[in-house]
Amino acid sequence: MLLIFVGGNIIAQNDETKEETKKMVDSLVKEAVAKQGYKPSKTQFMIRGYGHTGFAYTDTNGETESSFDGGTFAPIFLFKHNDRFMFESELEFELSDGELNIGFEYADAMYVINDYMTVRAGKFLLPFGTFMERLHPSWINRFTSKPLGFGHDGIAPGSGVGVELRGAFYIGNTKWNYSGYVTNGPTLKDGSEEPEEAGMLSFENLIDNNNSKAFGGRLGFFPLSDSSIEVGGSIYATDGTGEKGSDYEDVSAVLYAFDLSYVKQIAPISGIIDVKAQYNHSNVDRATYFDPEDGDTYSFDNQSQSYYVQLSYRPTMAGNDFVKNLELVGRYSELTTPEGAEWESQSSQYSVGLNYWLSWRSVIKISYESTEAEGGHGGPGITNIDTFSIHWAIGF
Amino acid sequence: MKTYKIISIIGIFAIIAIATISCSSTDGAYKNIDPESTVALKSGAQLWGENCVRCHITPAPSSYNSTDWETIGLHMKIRANLTAIEAEKIFEFLKSAN
Ligand code: HEC
Repeated sequence: MLLIFVGGNIIAQNDETKEETKKMVDSLVKEAVAKQGYKPSKTQFMIRGYGHTGFAYTDTNGETESSFDGGTFAPIFLFKHNDRFMFESELEFELSDGELNIGFEYADAMYVINDYMTVRAGKFLLPFGTFMERLHPSWINRFTSKPLGFGHDGIAPGSGVGVELRGAFYIGNTKWNYSGYVTNGPTLKDGSEEPEEAGMLSFENLIDNNNSKAFGGRLGFFPLSDSSIEVGGSIYATDGTGEKGSDYEDVSAVLYAFDLSYVKQIAPISGIIDVKAQYNHSNVDRATYFDPEDGDTYSFDNQSQSYYVQLSYRPTMAGNDFVKNLELVGRYSELTTPEGAEWESQSSQYSVGLNYWLSWRSVIKISYESTEAEGGHGGPGITNIDTFSIHWAIGF
Repeated sequence: MKTYKIISIIGIFAIIAIATISCSSTDGAYKNIDPESTVALKSGAQLWGENCVRCHITPAPSSYNSTDWETIGLHMKIRANLTAIEAEKIFEFLKSAN
């Protein structure tokens, strides 16, 4: 009996000590971890980015072509030095026409001056409208293609090398955001190298061809306090675009854009409606160019414009998990380049798509796109291009 | 090309004006904001729902750990032109709910 009592007591005591020791060890471990264990450092380096690949079937005026797209890999490097100072950079590796193209998309340092001002310097995406700065990455863009007027031979600048001040503030309950920048100016193609492109602007301005810089900015505001609507106006201007010392040095250019975004979950239609639109206008001073074919000079009113409107619907409130991840999207865009230019053209394009979102950053896009172009690179006459494509984009 | 010079001068003045306003108040988003304003009354979760869907699909809090959210927070605050109070509330929420 006594033995059992004493024994039991020892066992109980043992249990107690065990419990106490465990507690002690736990707290020591916690303390040690807190002291020098997994404590995040102030500086952070992150590799993010995106990639996409797919298949396209194209019919150009009856001539068909089909190809798997070799894919694009765009790594993004983010380095946060502290809560105010950060560096971002993106490279783009792309397989096209059987070759590897490497693009240097942006590389800029950013410093948060105060609650309303951040300065960026380097090569950055330009807030000329919203498409290039906010919507072009393949995991954000609802289509595989860019709307007319953007990208190669586009009339809107995509990135620039310079400095920018940006920020956001409230006036009453209305939210505003702004950006103002100075960058290397665009270059006027004067026709000496590619006569068929005389009068076009090239925004590849890593080194400026003259002393005239481009000044620009965007002002955006949210008329509703739920941030569902944003309206923006942008300008980009320079008083000289031609090669230094040439007749074209003082040919100036003024470009402007308007953009609209509306994104809202609407209960009666069980989903999210997303509208995006942008209008671009480019006005370059009149200049005289040389036509090597007939040995004559010519001139034209150098104005171009383009716009796109996109509407998408995601039934996010649907009961079915598969349906929830679907998205229906349509886009219409037009581009008009100057009458009388060698690159005179008028094109319109409509695109429809069905997307399936595998995650918030990964999407399968099935789309059909039809473009009708008069003039331009296809030569005189009408070119009809119909494209059917399946693409997979993933952000990581 | 006089017009754009005028516009850029106006722009520079606007920036100076903003700078003056901002320097006249101490930093810290909460101190600068009217406590009765709509944004001050909204929770981080609500601001996350309203703002992070505007350009891309909204990431869930569990998509990243708190350290990553800090880096992304600074990146998005700048790229997406979030106001200081929005960024502070949204990323506090994301870090508390991941
Ligand atoms: C104004 C548009 C816009 C808004 C609003 C926006 N984002 Fe983004 N976001 C982008 C763009 C553009 C990228 C891609 C950056 C790149 O590829 O250069 C991005 C990328 C990201 C990434 C990937 C990592 C990174 O930093 O590149 C995360 C995560 C993210 N956003 C989270 C958010 C959250 C959370 C919010 C809400 C506060 C938000 N975003 C609001 C435009 C936006």
